[in-house]
Amino acid sequence: MSEPVAGIALAVVIVGLALTTFLTRTSFLLAGSRLRLNHRIEVALRHAPVCTLTAIIVPDVLMHGGAAYDFSLLNPRLIGTLAAGLWLCWSRNILGCLASGMIACSLARVLL
Amino acid sequence: MTGIEPARREVFRQGQRAILHSLPGAATWGLVSGVAMVKGGLTVPWAVFMSLTVYAGSAQLAALPLIATGMPLWVIVATGLITNLRFVIYSAALRPYFAEEPLRRRAALGFFMTDFTFTLFMRAAQEGWLPARHRDAWFAGVCSNNWITWQASAITGIVAASYVPTDWGLEFTGTLALIALVGPALRARPALVGAVAAGVIALLAHGLPYRLGLFVAAIIGIVAATLADDWRPRETTVDSGSTS
Repeated sequence: MSEPVAGIALAVVIVGLALTTFLTRTSFLLAGSRLRLNHRIEVALRHAPVCTLTAIIVPDVLMHGGAAYDFSLLNPRLIGTLAAGLWLCWSRNILGCLASGMIACSLARVLL
Repeated sequence: MTGIEPARREVFRQGQRAILHSLPGAATWGLVSGVAMVKGGLTVPWAVFMSLTVYAGSAQLAALPLIATGMPLWVIVATGLITNLRFVIYSAALRPYFAEEPLRRRAALGFFMTDFTFTLFMRAAQEGWLPARHRDAWFAGVCSNNWITWQASAITGIVAASYVPTDWGLEFTGTLALIALVGPALRARPALVGAVAAGVIALLAHGLPYRLGLFVAAIIGIVAATLADDWRPRETTVDSGSTS
């Protein structure tokens, strides 16, 4: 693992994120009215967040702190994820999801 | 400028009232994002700066693990961009309602538009209770209350989290918040197909140079979800993209 991004580099990252957020939010509001979204492109854009976020979540849970996969039920983050997922199956309450995930992950870290 | 027309001010207030019922949800997300930013490794000033300038919970949460592991800058910004691509659809949907407004006002309305405020605006438009005049003032009212609530709760979360010891392991809240965002969307089959593809490829391609694995995974996931979308029966067309 490398060092966290900090200092000037962190400022560049945050300004870059702010700019891309602004550009996507204002894109069609500022562009000419002749621009139209093709149906397939719209479907692809709609699915982009879920796919990107999953590609971030999965390595963060299964490979946390190293390069090797950790599928074992001794992985605290995997246990936390399972608990949070179970919670989401019957409720959409975010705080409950976070609490169940954190409690399961912490218990696993302490007990296993 | 001699003050705002009373009719516009009244419509602005109507907008502020229209979003009241979803402010607890905005406050929860703001709080969680604030805690996750500080526990993800940002200092209080940087976290406040990020919250005020970016104002996009999912892009901020997505960036945190990448900042913490020292990913290249362009990877972090590009990841934020893909996470934000849904806003392109929103802005295309809003365009007809604001086409007559001056450029600067359209830019401002775009800056303050979020999952919450966009969804409320489109529902008002489709159910016919959007005011006939001064729609921009109505949307500005909706967005102002959402912005104030989100920023106040995010900054509360940032300050509160800075007093919590690191060994509580709270940095995992950021990932859990992403799970809470993604989870409900997986009820739609195409999104589930895309997420499974993206997750598997993210593991397999993790060793690729320049951290390209993340993008390879995201793009294969998006293609898989789009193909799955083509095959699904037309009559069950539901919106799978609501991540708010």
